[in-house]
Amino acid sequence: MYVLGISCFYHDSSACLLKDGKIVAAVEEERFSRKKHDNSFPINAINYCLDSQKINIDKIDHIGFYEKPFLKFERILYQHLEMFPLSLKTFVASMPSWLNEKIRVVKIIKKQLKYKGDVMFIEHHMAHAASSFLVCPFEKAAILTVDGVGEWATTTYGLGNKSNIHLMKEIKFPHSLGLLYSTITAYLGFSVNNSEYKVMGLSPYGQMNKEKNKYYRKLQKVIDIKEDGSYKLDMSYFTYHYKDRMPSKKLCDLLEGPIYKRDSKVTQKHKDIAAAVQLITEDTIMKMLTHLYNETKCQNLVMAGGVALNSVCNGKILKNTPFKKIWIQPNASDGGTSIGVACYIYNTIFKKKRNYIMTNAFLGPEYSDKETKDFLDKNKIKYTSFKDEKDLVKTTAKLIYDNNVIGWFRGRMEWGPRALGSRSILSDPTNPNMQEILNSKVKHREKFRPFAPVVCEDDALEYFDCDKPVPEPTDYMLMVYPVFKKWHKKIPSVTHVDGSGRLQTIRRSQNELYYDVIKEFGKHSKIPILINTSFNIRGEPIVCTPFDAYKCMMGTGIDYLVMNKYLVKREDNPQDMWDCEKYARD
Amino acid sequence: MNKINAFLKEFKTGLGLFGQNIALFVNSFLLFVVYLTGVGFTWIFAKLVGKCFLDIKHEKTNTYWDDLNLKTKPEKEYYRQF
Ligand SMILES: [Fe+2]
Repeated sequence: MYVLGISCFYHDSSACLLKDGKIVAAVEEERFSRKKHDNSFPINAINYCLDSQKINIDKIDHIGFYEKPFLKFERILYQHLEMFPLSLKTFVASMPSWLNEKIRVVKIIKKQLKYKGDVMFIEHHMAHAASSFLVCPFEKAAILTVDGVGEWATTTYGLGNKSNIHLMKEIKFPHSLGLLYSTITAYLGFSVNNSEYKVMGLSPYGQMNKEKNKYYRKLQKVIDIKEDGSYKLDMSYFTYHYKDRMPSKKLCDLLEGPIYKRDSKVTQKHKDIAAAVQLITEDTIMKMLTHLYNETKCQNLVMAGGVALNSVCNGKILKNTPFKKIWIQPNASDGGTSIGVACYIYNTIFKKKRNYIMTNAFLGPEYSDKETKDFLDKNKIKYTSFKDEKDLVKTTAKLIYDNNVIGWFRGRMEWGPRALGSRSILSDPTNPNMQEILNSKVKHREKFRPFAPVVCEDDALEYFDCDKPVPEPTDYMLMVYPVFKKWHKKIPSVTHVDGSGRLQTIRRSQNELYYDVIKEFGKHSKIPILINTSFNIRGEPIVCTPFDAYKCMMGTGIDYLVMNKYLVKREDNPQDMWDCEKYARD
Repeated sequence: MNKINAFLKEFKTGLGLFGQNIALFVNSFLLFVVYLTGVGFTWIFAKLVGKCFLDIKHEKTNTYWDDLNLKTKPEKEYYRQF
């Protein structure tokens, strides 16, 4: 049985194909369209899913969509009715897309895919819950989903058992922890639905002592949090329920100044406000989770929704709640719901036993050695070939040790927002100047954001103060843990100002050569850790094809590109026609 | 001949853009009318009967969790968009 899951028209459109209960392909549309967070109908992603199995649409037994569009439309209409006449501008701006596509999903799917069957619709937070629970390693788990908003729900909790999910309680729009975080993101001059992770990265620079952070006390007026983790926002501080601007004048007054302009200089006030919203988020999540444990008495926890990408908060969960084990899907945000809807149809609606556990995120397209060679030859690109895999590992590790920045392009592309060793940029974290080198050569990102380390899972506890055993979401860069103090000065480019690191752990079974390069690098440097950052130009999606990878290398300062069994040196090739840095944006 | 073709092509593109702008203007105007009449009258009626569409009042209670009780439903329920 083939089931196709689709998520689109909000942000991060994606598609997922399930074959007899196993995920055989999953990918976001942005990787093909090259538009970051692309929300259009994921026709390229769907075509990839079908092509990967060499099937056409007639072979698909069921198609599922990641929300109930009419329920969401009802909520939108209710917002306009409640906020009349303040919502006029948003009404005129948003209605065309609602009338043309969002409530015509069935027609669009049938027309675009020439699909003759019916389409199934799953509630948005159920799709989130299913996206994590139905592929997790636990038979039974407590589930928490927290995002901006689905149809009406913004937060839900429940219990998953075998193939069934029971979502017991919810918090409804307009009260939303995700939208509170996004509002502060907007206030600080960062882009919403994109730069929330920057606020998280900025927070350790601020005052993390609750008593001393005046913005923490101020933000407590904005949200009323109960002991059971339920919360309510004071909506007079917000305008997102009727305007495209999120903070209200009252919130600006509370935070002592107008909304920051884009790219304005980061000040101590920025940092303290970032710290305050991070602390509020952590307070709420910990209380919710303690309540959830008391309600379910289940020691396994599964989380989903955009807020579950808050890796700083995630790293504190097992220490601060009664839960013993945690699982989060690598694509916990809306993009990941296509997996949820497909699994829900197969396992829950059609009552098929779960027969798939997600053990890695490599679910996207891959390119064979022949395809890579054809691309290189056709474009007259100079390259050399590795003799064998051993040569590849040794040469790459030595190049990294010699302070080169390496574009690493091998295997199936990652599912989710993080590069995890298929489309990564690798470099030496022991070089104290590497953060600056990477920033000047490739990333041009804010100074306050350190790079992420990747370490073999069996070495992680030597360098990082992780929970034991190291939780699997760490494989997907979803957990931030302290770096042991003695290593702070030895791996400065990946140690954050508060001594933490957003590490990725890698197991050899997930990606052999990536694992071997890290170990081999350790033989040179005595520290088997690399910097792993996503293979993209700032503001663009992660590279997908050999063309994207080569273009990215030539337009930036990446020194070498390891592309399957071939090695391309930037200096050997003409660079003038590949100046993509001018397209960099954020 | 080439010049005429090029002119016609440009003319067609221009006409298309002009049409798009007109459509945008007409759509916006119609939506404005719908907003004032449809949404506006419903709003007045709702105010008269005291109906609230969004929970934006700041009323404190012991808990803000609402019952959801969402479980597996019969298959046919999932073909509905609501
Ligand atoms: Fe969501």
